[in-house]
Amino acid sequence: MTMTKRFGLLFCLGLFVVVGLPWPVSAVELTVHSDTLLRFFERDTATEKDATVLPVYEYLQLDVENPGEPGLAFHLSGWGRGDLADNDYYTDSTAGELLYAYLEYSGKLARFNARAGRQYVFEGVANESVDGLRLSSDLGRYFSGSLYLGQPVALDSEQGRSGDSIYGGRLANHLAGKYELGLSYKKINNDSDDAEEMAGVDISAYLPYNINLYGFSAYNIESEAFGEHSYELSFSVGSLSLRPYFQKFQYEDYFGTGANSANPFRFLADTGEELTVVGTDLTLPVGEAWTLVGKAKHYDYQVLDDSSQYYSAQAIWSGEGNSQFGGEFGYMNGDAAQNDYYLVRLDSYWDQLPDACPIAFVSGDIVYVGYDKAIYGEDRSLFVSLSVGKKFMEDALTLKLSGDYGSDPYFDDDLRGMLTASYRFAQAL
Amino acid sequence: MRTNHWIGMGMSLLLLSLAACAALDSGLQLPLRHESAADLGQSTEQCTDCHDARGEKLAFGSFNHNEVWGTAHRQPAYQQERVCAMCHQTSFCSDCHATRVELKPSLKNQGETYRQMPHRGDYLSRHRIDGRVDPTSCFRCHGNPKAARTCVPCHG
Repeated sequence: MTMTKRFGLLFCLGLFVVVGLPWPVSAVELTVHSDTLLRFFERDTATEKDATVLPVYEYLQLDVENPGEPGLAFHLSGWGRGDLADNDYYTDSTAGELLYAYLEYSGKLARFNARAGRQYVFEGVANESVDGLRLSSDLGRYFSGSLYLGQPVALDSEQGRSGDSIYGGRLANHLAGKYELGLSYKKINNDSDDAEEMAGVDISAYLPYNINLYGFSAYNIESEAFGEHSYELSFSVGSLSLRPYFQKFQYEDYFGTGANSANPFRFLADTGEELTVVGTDLTLPVGEAWTLVGKAKHYDYQVLDDSSQYYSAQAIWSGEGNSQFGGEFGYMNGDAAQNDYYLVRLDSYWDQLPDACPIAFVSGDIVYVGYDKAIYGEDRSLFVSLSVGKKFMEDALTLKLSGDYGSDPYFDDDLRGMLTASYRFAQAL
Repeated sequence: MRTNHWIGMGMSLLLLSLAACAALDSGLQLPLRHESAADLGQSTEQCTDCHDARGEKLAFGSFNHNEVWGTAHRQPAYQQERVCAMCHQTSFCSDCHATRVELKPSLKNQGETYRQMPHRGDYLSRHRIDGRVDPTSCFRCHGNPKAARTCVPCHG
């Protein structure tokens, strides 16, 4: 199906949902959120040097619901891109994707929820976009469950959609505020052949002394071994918050997800590597406005018989609204010199400007990275970004203008610009 | 085949249970939407500003959006998607977690530096190193054939 036909079908579906379904009259609201982005930059193409590239993106979101009330709702989001310059920079002059479009029913009791259509499923071993049906509900006081089935969106380019299917679910046992233990399962078929089959266990436990435990393990049923173990704690010592974590990945079982994988990950599955990661995040508020953040991460490779470390320190000042100033220093001590780099970042966002000011907010960002071993003859990269914005029509319309400059191993002096118009419309039906 | 048989039976049983037990309330129902900052008359920066860290229905402390939340929300979100949905539409998640988007999140939301989005600046160069050091973090968002279209031009 072509992109035009797909979006046409989508529009008709949205129109049918808005006017065709028997929505309860009370307080049903239609919300439309549109982001239109016009970018401009220069690139070499097959036929021209420093050709101007002018892509225009439209991100559209539509929601029909009675906010906060059980019942029917419809949600839709997608994006499309057109190339105004049409100078062969993009392989396809148009592109786009329907991210989700689903009809949802939320029950008054038992947290019952049903969704039909294109939707994301994030739970247990599922991190999938599905064209299909998902049901979830409490199963009494101590259990809850969910099921989904349909076709995997990620595989629609792999030998068509015929014979593609996905199904799975999660069963959880919980004691509110104490713990939750989940068992999950997922199976994907591509062209009627097995593509991926995973089972997982996830846990959250709220231990004494305000210590929280989160954990997740994924078992690859095809390869009959665990692909991932990820476990973390979070707790505070005085005002210092810590999040130590442990992760272990077996590449063959983690990346070996059959037709649902892609390069370069398929290649990595054959390396037999086993990666162990241990690390911690530290967060320390200082006074009313300052927060200090530290991160340390150690990577250990069994086959390579080597290790890497990453450390970073960050200081953030937060003010009213989203106003913020921050600075960060990071250092990657890789297993080889080609994997060493340091990073310095300064960023700011200020939305507390006086009313007399012609703009509503201004933000800036500087990122400098130094590489121990040069990449394409360059041993550093610099990125500078500046954005301003203003709101109109009682904040329904926001216009933003951004410009950024980059000098790095891939681009000598790269200037880019972007104009964004964000429009939000709400109407009671 | 025998495994599939048991899995099929288990899932059918769960489906029947879902249908039969949908009226068995757990007493854990949270509002579908959180009140907005405007309705509350104050900003809603941290859950524990108003709720107990260990509430009767939810351990609210686990959902505090502190400065590392952007890289630490995976496990709470996978277990309690409904809590996220109280404040965020799915589109908020799909800014980063979409099956296929062309613009990286930090570029689409260029001016929103306070969101600490990943891949800021010259990530094209840096991803060579981060990808070698820990490719598992790339896989979560770029691992399937559709999402990997970003990788295909260079990685085949």
